[in-house]
Amino acid sequence: MPSKNEFDVIIIGGGITGAGTARDCAMRGLRVLLIERHDIATGATGRNHGLLHSGARYAVKDSESAEECIRENKILRSIASNCIEDTGGLFITLPEDEEAGFGLDYQQKFIDACQRAGIEARAISPSDAREMEPSVNPSLIGAVVVPDGSVDPFRLCAANVTDAAMHGAKVLVYTEFIDFIREGDTIQGVQVLDTRTGVKAEYRAPVTVNAAGIWGHGVAEKAGVHIGMYPAKGALLVFGHRVNNVVINRCRKSADGDILVPGDSVTVIGTTSTKVPFEECDHMEVTPDEVRLLLREGCALCPSLASTRILRAYAGVRPLVADDSDPTGRSISRGIVCLDHETRDGVKGFISITGGKLMTYRLMAELATDAVCRKLGVNQACSTAETPLPGSVDGRIETVSKRFEGKVTLGQKGAAGRQGDLVGKLRFDSDADKQLVCECENVTLAEIKYAVAELGVRSLGDLRRRTRVGMGTCQGTLCIRKAAKALAQALGDPSLEAKLAADYLDERWKGMRAVGWGDTLREMEFMQRVYKFEKPYSYDEI
Amino acid sequence: MKFDVVIIGGGLAGTSAATELQKSGLKCILVADGLSLYNCPKNEFKAAGGTVLQGDRVVSGDFEDGRLLRVYTAKLGNEPLEAGQFVLATGKYFSRGLVADMDKVYEPLFNLDVEYDADRPSWFDPSFAAPQRFLEFGVKTSGALALKGGVPIENLYPAGEVLAGVSSAQGDATEQILNSARQAVRAIRKTDYAGE
Repeated sequence: MPSKNEFDVIIIGGGITGAGTARDCAMRGLRVLLIERHDIATGATGRNHGLLHSGARYAVKDSESAEECIRENKILRSIASNCIEDTGGLFITLPEDEEAGFGLDYQQKFIDACQRAGIEARAISPSDAREMEPSVNPSLIGAVVVPDGSVDPFRLCAANVTDAAMHGAKVLVYTEFIDFIREGDTIQGVQVLDTRTGVKAEYRAPVTVNAAGIWGHGVAEKAGVHIGMYPAKGALLVFGHRVNNVVINRCRKSADGDILVPGDSVTVIGTTSTKVPFEECDHMEVTPDEVRLLLREGCALCPSLASTRILRAYAGVRPLVADDSDPTGRSISRGIVCLDHETRDGVKGFISITGGKLMTYRLMAELATDAVCRKLGVNQACSTAETPLPGSVDGRIETVSKRFEGKVTLGQKGAAGRQGDLVGKLRFDSDADKQLVCECENVTLAEIKYAVAELGVRSLGDLRRRTRVGMGTCQGTLCIRKAAKALAQALGDPSLEAKLAADYLDERWKGMRAVGWGDTLREMEFMQRVYKFEKPYSYDEI
Repeated sequence: MKFDVVIIGGGLAGTSAATELQKSGLKCILVADGLSLYNCPKNEFKAAGGTVLQGDRVVSGDFEDGRLLRVYTAKLGNEPLEAGQFVLATGKYFSRGLVADMDKVYEPLFNLDVEYDADRPSWFDPSFAAPQRFLEFGVKTSGALALKGGVPIENLYPAGEVLAGVSSAQGDATEQILNSARQAVRAIRKTDYAGE
């Protein structure tokens, strides 16, 4: 009987790649440990557009990525239906694109490349495009319809982690990788630090997978191997309501701020691409210049953005594998890099899975798991492409809602949308359980209790990633103390309330500061009025 | 329509200044946009004989020789409100007494001089609970008078949170707001009696 600290495989990183790899390994019968130093989906996984790429964006320049994308696009639609919205996408051509050499000739080249990659793409007239998406820039001269969509990366990552755990994987969040346990040229496990308690521990496994995104660069260095990673920062803006219902792209060479994605109740514009030093990856701030650029380009896609309140700004770092000859990082392939460090560097028991993108996480996980199985001599085929994720087995709200007795409330409907067929686990035992805590996103007390009991939630940020609490148009202004109180009680320590709220507000504040003018600044003043910490009108006295 | 004083803004500063001025015998009108708040002081003002223009807002004004002659409202259109004295109590950003652009803060009604810092990142402290500089911005004054293009407007008195250095967003500023209103009232009474 192996000790509780021994596993078949240890996976470092609780982003979508690590989560997917943990799921795949667990489904193939391996004993899996997943460690993550913060919460799941806190790196690039939770800091992107949430775009379900059709692959069209890559079709002209990188047919391999395009083919991967469309294959995975179709797979995700079937295994992760609860995380995906089939919005459709448009690639529009504007008069200025034509002047820059990306006119209708380029559009034809684009359509041909899409079709070669297996992506359905058809040109429609500008007037049809405006009927399909009324918010689109009316001066467009051409449009192509592609099967883009939107994906909720938090939900997708959580579903993978949940399924890994359901298949026996051990998941440790707030557990930081410190160093490898090494015997000669073999990696035998990891030393970790529980960042909450400060307690160190050791875990052993014959194979360790580095799935730490951009931070994988540092993880590899600890093993004495070098991966030439290229940290490419991408900044994005979230707008206060859903301006468009169809993904809008520019039909030209990829550039900054040329994708507008509707997701849930908001719209997101992005991204930029700038190389940043590794030291900055933990502290991404969106600069005024980036905001200006995104707004300018966003308005070219959809002019009404100019008068739409910006909720917040955020930035992530793409874990691209570097090519020193290109200073922008745009021409680097978004392709998958799976490195067996035994053959590459002579370090046994160590694999890195990096590059790639949210869209291809499942394929990345499959490749990494294949490599793990080869090392362990396990002969099990991958089944992640056919097996729906928890929540997406039958995620239709009508079906899911049947699990509730009586009239289905808004909160139950919201929970059904987020938790899919796992919503049966929510307990609506009392009227209080049905009460809405977050009224923007319809999150009930029952869902908060469920997230604490079943999804490993410890902070309001964790709760946001599982339930969308505080993610709506008020950005938590009207619900965060309620949510903090409910969470503190669910965690069994009511004294945590003020700290939970303060941490969350600092995090929201960061995203708002970058876009702090106009109506956003009005919202910020309002937020300050609502929460006067240690001031005469504290929340408790009202 | 002609009054002794037009008070623009129906918050704490506007209603208390209006009531005091009306009680000292001046004919006042209070233009109160937005929610129906501060009803108690408004009723006191009305009981003293004051006029409330509820749900309307001032949109512009005519200046001449360093004086504000009249203001126009959204609902009265071409019919101006004329007065000898004006109190500006329109509050900060939320009530649109101030407007922030990407790189400037301005006073949207009369384009009065505003104290602010053009470096937007410096407006905020990363900690939500810490003092925030943007809440300190507001219109500049010389004595009790507003400044426009560096020149005092001799009959325009800002009061309350539209002023630089006055904000209730992070703590109780009731005394500060009432003091600024009293200062405007004192200055108006003085001018008015001097003129008689």
